[in-house]
Amino acid sequence: MSILIDEKTKLIVQGITGREGSYHTEQMLKYGTKVVGGVTPGKGGQEVCGVPVFNSVREAMAATNADATVIFVPARFMKDSVLEAIDAGMKMVFTIAEHVPVHDMMFCYHLAKARGVKLFGPNSFGVISPGKTKAGFMAGYFFSPGSVGVMSRSATNCYETVKMLTDNGIGQSTCVGVGGDMIPGTTFVELLPDFEADPDTKAVVIIGEIGGSEEELAAAYIKDHFSKPVVALIAGKNAPKGRSMGHAGAIVSADGTGSAANKEKALRDAGVYIADSTQHIVDILLELKKEGKL
Amino acid sequence: MKLLEYKAKELFDKYGVPTMNGCVIDSAEDMDGEIAKAGLTYPVVVKAQVQIGGRGKAGGIRFADTPQEARQHCQDLLFSELRGYKVNQLLIVEKSANNKTELYLSIMLDRLTKCPIIIFSANGGMEIEQTAKEDPDKIIKVTVDPFVGVKDYTAAYLLSKAGMDQAYKKQLYDMLRKLYAIFMDYSCMLVEINPLVINAEDRLIALDGKIDIDDSALFRLPDIQEFANKLQPDNPLIREASRFNFLYIPVDEDGTIAVTSNGSGMLMSCIDLISKEGMKVSAALDLGGGATADRIKEAIRILFSTPGCKAVLINIFGGITRCDEVAGGVKLALEADEHKDKIVIIRMEGTNKDVGLSIISSIKGVDIVSVPGLRECVKALVDRRDRL
Repeated sequence: MSILIDEKTKLIVQGITGREGSYHTEQMLKYGTKVVGGVTPGKGGQEVCGVPVFNSVREAMAATNADATVIFVPARFMKDSVLEAIDAGMKMVFTIAEHVPVHDMMFCYHLAKARGVKLFGPNSFGVISPGKTKAGFMAGYFFSPGSVGVMSRSATNCYETVKMLTDNGIGQSTCVGVGGDMIPGTTFVELLPDFEADPDTKAVVIIGEIGGSEEELAAAYIKDHFSKPVVALIAGKNAPKGRSMGHAGAIVSADGTGSAANKEKALRDAGVYIADSTQHIVDILLELKKEGKL
Repeated sequence: MKLLEYKAKELFDKYGVPTMNGCVIDSAEDMDGEIAKAGLTYPVVVKAQVQIGGRGKAGGIRFADTPQEARQHCQDLLFSELRGYKVNQLLIVEKSANNKTELYLSIMLDRLTKCPIIIFSANGGMEIEQTAKEDPDKIIKVTVDPFVGVKDYTAAYLLSKAGMDQAYKKQLYDMLRKLYAIFMDYSCMLVEINPLVINAEDRLIALDGKIDIDDSALFRLPDIQEFANKLQPDNPLIREASRFNFLYIPVDEDGTIAVTSNGSGMLMSCIDLISKEGMKVSAALDLGGGATADRIKEAIRILFSTPGCKAVLINIFGGITRCDEVAGGVKLALEADEHKDKIVIIRMEGTNKDVGLSIISSIKGVDIVSVPGLRECVKALVDRRDRL
């Protein structure tokens, strides 16, 4: 099994006729994703890779009864695209773009919460349930189906980890890019109940980084409510103080909130295995496998 | 994007937040003319326009009762350096005398609640950070529902919790509404007034202003973008890198290793692992996705120009980024003769890896090592520790 999306998930692509949108529609179709429609205002009636294009999300929903949307539009248009999707009744929304204004995301975040919509990203690679489906821009070839759930604020650290997992015969149930921005639509603590409930997920990897409190919130939840082994890596221990490392969210504030030391302590206290590198994550999981826990 | 005080004051004036009458000068000769034009009366305060905290303690804020004194301060401060920052402008404002008290007021974006949060204190001024540490109950915080905004009850609550007279409610509410409008209209991360004084006539006046604007929103704020373009970044390589759409981050002045990757998470991992081995990273450069050979060449050149750089670590996990483009760019950069003494460690994974590797193996005359993983990258550096 998997969480969030599987082989039955019907996906639409907002911005499907754009360079990124059309390329990744092709890639997702090749991977097996059920891309049932796309949206680009003014291009309704066209097709991309055999997928029908609509002028609005409302029309795409009516024609396809889609479950989820992935938004491949530039950062400055993301807010309107998210609002359109939520307004049309979409219940799961994946956003990809980097450099989305934080105020735009603040508005989208609160609207999604109020309407019970699962919003992901921005600054995220999307979500993949290996062997079944993917919604996003990650290359599919180094993922493999299996029993480890992965959640990551960073795309590159996630790829690195997943490739080594696959090379070592450890597959993944679902890998979620929660995104590197200050306001992630959905974060670790909200995904843990899904991984707990999924019988095929035997262990979870959290790839966090400095800044914010997402890892601490996850630790508090794991302590009392999560029964499966969790391995965590916090990147950015030696990042220069007070400078954003490219991920807008990866910055330690002046009072020390968001430091790697705080996060590792909270996670360790909750019984989480702390890895100090992507390779170390794999070493710990191999050990768990040897013990029959995977 | 942190605005200088005079720019923050411009926004305050535009939105009707009460401030002291003032003018901005960038040459000492203009002082008398600008002061007359703005109709300022003495005494005045001469304030250096630099983005540092504790500006008063650093000598950047000076009082003048006469034009002679003001002129002296202008000559002393203008184009001087305050904690390494050059003073290019001065803000001169009338002095608010006999203030009854100094308050603190700010609105910032709170990561935990994902809401704007108002922070208010009756104990404002220079010691606010100490108050926050020693007497946190004197710092009042209230989150604002972005669908509701600030209301007059917000002001009533803040005054009540701060132990202040409700007679100030109308003025504080007015101030909050205007600050919140700036916060929302300008996509701010922070709008701060410290001190916010109650003057002898019981009026609230902003004596300082700090505004931090989300860089990602600058595209829709042409007036701020124009201001940003005029500011020099603190490091010329940051500007050079941004010309090619790269993010360049200085890390450690004593560092000898520059790192680059196609994502900031991986950069952080590289820095962490190198630091763990007791070696130092001088700078990091994020290529972003999809860099071509021409741009990679520039990235390598910029990293080589980092002071103290003896080695460059290139770690690519390609999705959108193609390994053949990366290798081509590295080859172009290394063919320039002046880099023969440098060490280059490269790790590539992903699209067109084999073509990339064969290009790397064709590079001659430089110590370039191609390795299969991040761990091996760090090992290759450790093996060359005596040359770093």
